[in-house]
Amino acid sequence: MKDKQHFIEDVAQIAQQRVEAGTLSRRSFNQLLMVIAAAAGMGPLRKAFADSGSVVVANWGGDAVPAFEKSFQAFNAAGMKLQVDGSGPTEGAVKTQVNSGAVRWDVCDGEMYSSYRLGKEGVLTPIDYSVVDKSLIGYGDVHEFGLANYSYSYVMGYDAKKFGKNPPKSWADFWDVKKYPGKRTLYKWMSANLECALLADGVTPDKLYPLDVDRALRKIEELMPHIVTHWSTGAECQQLLRDGEVSMAQMWHTRAQLVKQDTGGAIDWGFDNAIVAPSVWMVPKNNPAGAANAMKFIAFALRPETQAKLMEVYNMGPVDSKVNSLLSAELQKINPTAPDNLRKQVQMNNLWYADHYSDTLNRYLALIGG
Amino acid sequence: MRISFHGTLRIYALLILPLPLLIVVGYLLPTAGVLGWSLSLPQPGLQNYATILDTPSIHSVIWRTLRICLLTTAISVAIAYLIAFRWRFASARGRMLIELFVLLPFWLSMLIRAFAWLVLLRNDGLVNQSLLTLGLLDEPLALVRNELGALIGMVHFMVPYAVLPLLSSMGQVDDSLLRASSSLGAGRWETLRNVFFPLTLPGVAAAMATVFVFSLGCFVTPALLGGGKAAMLAESIYIQMFQLSNWGLGAALSIVLMAMVAVCAVVFVKLVGVGRFTGRQA
Repeated sequence: MKDKQHFIEDVAQIAQQRVEAGTLSRRSFNQLLMVIAAAAGMGPLRKAFADSGSVVVANWGGDAVPAFEKSFQAFNAAGMKLQVDGSGPTEGAVKTQVNSGAVRWDVCDGEMYSSYRLGKEGVLTPIDYSVVDKSLIGYGDVHEFGLANYSYSYVMGYDAKKFGKNPPKSWADFWDVKKYPGKRTLYKWMSANLECALLADGVTPDKLYPLDVDRALRKIEELMPHIVTHWSTGAECQQLLRDGEVSMAQMWHTRAQLVKQDTGGAIDWGFDNAIVAPSVWMVPKNNPAGAANAMKFIAFALRPETQAKLMEVYNMGPVDSKVNSLLSAELQKINPTAPDNLRKQVQMNNLWYADHYSDTLNRYLALIGG
Repeated sequence: MRISFHGTLRIYALLILPLPLLIVVGYLLPTAGVLGWSLSLPQPGLQNYATILDTPSIHSVIWRTLRICLLTTAISVAIAYLIAFRWRFASARGRMLIELFVLLPFWLSMLIRAFAWLVLLRNDGLVNQSLLTLGLLDEPLALVRNELGALIGMVHFMVPYAVLPLLSSMGQVDDSLLRASSSLGAGRWETLRNVFFPLTLPGVAAAMATVFVFSLGCFVTPALLGGGKAAMLAESIYIQMFQLSNWGLGAALSIVLMAMVAVCAVVFVKLVGVGRFTGRQA
């Protein structure tokens, strides 16, 4: 692309000289400029006509794209390159692509419960466990159509300047606006919200599932006057905390760590009472690079060294507690599946979500919509 | 070569065939497809429509959508009318300035504009901070992350769309008509009310129709500025289709949205009178 720019600049320069010399008419010069502009614009467009020699991994965009690119740099399968697409593999998007026959993604980093549902609907390719070593997975669901790829936690990010001396230790503290004044924010798509509400209401972790939705929604309603908004993207929850619009946020630990680094510790977080969940690798049917290459990528991503790299680059927790020993001491502190941290947390049950997500989300959005 | 009259007609018919064909293929067929989805997913039947009729939360979303869209239309067109009026009687340079400022927002992304409003209207944003420091307020005003914020963002977004048809319609009002009216003894207000305004009604109707239809489909601005409390029908459709992959209900909601647009189109046309558009006297 860089060479192309230079070449184009060169063409423009030559054309300008010719116009001044009178050998190129003004009209032709303008036409040439238009062609050059179109050619320059074609550069990025060319990539969209996906190079046939690449494995496309879809994730949720933003910082996660360079994170994946860096961590999976070493992937090489019969000369295929890795391409990361950050457009967000929602259930609907995957379904649309498979049903219309225009599948753009080879491997999707999706929600675990989505992989159960999409698998049932027949739009996913079964994982080839002869290529992918499932014994490498110590934490997280492994099933016919998907397997855990990394772990993350829903934690409490809080204003350390206000609450640093007496940090919140449980979701009951999150709900306590007298002891910890200020506004709150929760995740719009409801994952883990109900668990947090029930834990705040006094339910013990072992009695959490199946979730008592009515009780959880009542607890959420209690907090509603103090919820300034529900965040729907990772960057949004970072911004809400950093700008002081909320004093406590339910957020992903990766984002909490980012905002802690950005603000030099003015925002802090911890694993106490957090909810840990796995994300999933799933392969849409008829993916462009073929099932074999998709499985090769998954096997590569599951290797302990790759898992350690992912943790290093973007704090996405490994799915095997054995990988913890490969990490540095600071990283071990923020690793969701480190044995010390795993002990403090509640594990999310994705099978419940696979069955109940739609109806419950509708009720939740109706409640917060007012 | 001499072709008969009917032969000529047939050739002309063939020549213009591509356009209706394009409309059928590109518009009517997919709409029929969506209608089919609403009646067949997940099982054949009218369950999706029954769900819509039975669920109070969907009713409140529809009412909220109508309310916000009608308010947006009324306010945007009112503001746009004032802007277009100023433009109508401005000098050439004044006109250029007004056109520039009306068109400038088109070059900005909708997201940037929404975030700019957030920065201005937040509890610790510019507006609240200045009012607080001036001592005019004790507590910050909740200007955003609620319906009011969504309304402000949408009006800001829609005013340029409303101004354009009004500019064209007002530009067509003949100066001599206004002078004739005042030479017959009408004061400025009377001229405005009885001569100018009725002549600009087609522009007003076009502006209202444009803004209303656009705002029905708008959901990014209300989602960002509404703080989740201004959920609109378009966002519900998005959630059903992508987040929950419940395509049958999403399709049924889309058909409801289309029906709302159709009803409003009929109402607008009846109100203003089709004759005004086609040039025939009503």
